[in-house]
Amino acid sequence: MNEPDVNALVEGVQRADSAVGLLLATQALAASAHPQAAPCLVEVLGFNNPGAAVAAVDGLIAIGEPAVDTILTLIDGYNYGARAWAVRALAGIGDVRGLEVLEDALGKDIGPSVRRAAARGLGQLRLEVLEPQPRRDAAERCLQALLDGCRDGEWVVRYAVAVGLELLAPAVHPHLAEGPEPQQRLHQALLGLHLNPAEEAPVVSLRAALALQRLGVRHG
Amino acid sequence: MAAGAADQPIPGNGDPISEEEALRRIRLTDDPSAQYYAAWWLGRNRSSHPEAVPLLQEALRQRRPRDPGAGVEENAVARNAARALGKLGVPARAAIPDLLATLEDDDYGLREAAAHALGDLQAVDAVEPLRRRLASGPAVAGAQQPGTPRLQEPCEALLEALGQIGVAEPAVLAVIEPFVVHERPLIRSAACRALLQLTAEPRWGDQLVALLQHQQLHVRRAALMDLGAAGWREALEPIAATLAENSLKLIALRGLVEQPGRESGSAGAVPDAATVAVLDVMDALL
Repeated sequence: MNEPDVNALVEGVQRADSAVGLLLATQALAASAHPQAAPCLVEVLGFNNPGAAVAAVDGLIAIGEPAVDTILTLIDGYNYGARAWAVRALAGIGDVRGLEVLEDALGKDIGPSVRRAAARGLGQLRLEVLEPQPRRDAAERCLQALLDGCRDGEWVVRYAVAVGLELLAPAVHPHLAEGPEPQQRLHQALLGLHLNPAEEAPVVSLRAALALQRLGVRHG
Repeated sequence: MAAGAADQPIPGNGDPISEEEALRRIRLTDDPSAQYYAAWWLGRNRSSHPEAVPLLQEALRQRRPRDPGAGVEENAVARNAARALGKLGVPARAAIPDLLATLEDDDYGLREAAAHALGDLQAVDAVEPLRRRLASGPAVAGAQQPGTPRLQEPCEALLEALGQIGVAEPAVLAVIEPFVVHERPLIRSAACRALLQLTAEPRWGDQLVALLQHQQLHVRRAALMDLGAAGWREALEPIAATLAENSLKLIALRGLVEQPGRESGSAGAVPDAATVAVLDVMDALL
């Protein structure tokens, strides 16, 4: 798709005068997956139209890394709802530049749906593009944020933390981490989620058991 | 199930308090708003303090006939106390006689809260009174009260409680069945849920799955919650494809994983293949 076509789709979003019209125009723009669509898609996140926001998040994830700077630049001035959607987009894109936003979201956001997206996102940042030392530092920050997330008050966030820990595991392999200690902490955290006698949601314990099984850790 | 019941906002001032403080406030009989919050707190935090149940029983008795002009609505305390008792498990079974009495109250909201709690406590003694309240069918018990959106009886709560308690006697099923053609989709959903829980017959699950396509979002949400409560595994793909928030789909899918009989109580358990299939769908919705 060339630039004039993307501009036409952006205009379509800007001209939309109904909720359904906005949804359809956003879906069309998102399907372009063109980097030039990013600013307009980020704008849609602030329109308080959940259907369109879902489409915009999908579009931003499809654009991927070229959308990250735009998201990070624009979200600061945005309202809470827009920031929540932006966290989901950053979690889906997996670019390391989103790390700070994801840490912050898992640790502090009031919305469980935002914290759960951040927890999963912290497990799937593409750390392999970094040099060894920055990669270790970033993996450590992801690990620490997820360890803190084990104590979240919402079952769905603890569930997402189990998923995030499973996804993060390869990045803290002793071979990469210069020692077994980070991997041990990750396994301990999953064991804690699995065996916690105070866990009210069996599904959390079960998901942690599945993660441990997939990581080849003996448990129970 | 009324959509959104799973994430009701914190009532009152919502400040973080200790169990000790909640037990102090629930005694403040001349401060209903403090009691209201304390009752909610004790249920939300599943207090196992030995005084929690007796104090909530006290609060449940502290009710009076509705008087819209009286300002603070004291039955609100009793409603929250009933709801809280439902969440406290075995120790709260001592309060079942109080809840049965509340089920006969003139206040619709109190009957509704008592029905929920009796269902949560799986009170077999409640089956007959619940059944009796519904026995006049959709045309009477399920008829709309003049001047309000309420039905004559809190049918949704009564139906759900019967399903939750789990006594699948023909007389119970016969009273529930007519409600699957009630004019309101939420009542149909509650009736199908109860029948699915009681009989495990696919036809009731199929009707709930059909409601996932309803054009109104609140109906789709209710059907999601009802399929989750019944743990109907066959609904996995339709739930994933429903046009509704991921948060609600995740709650429903949790129900599919934790459905009675499948629960892996033992600590060493590893999920079986069918459970892993549900977990994979959940992972994708995070």
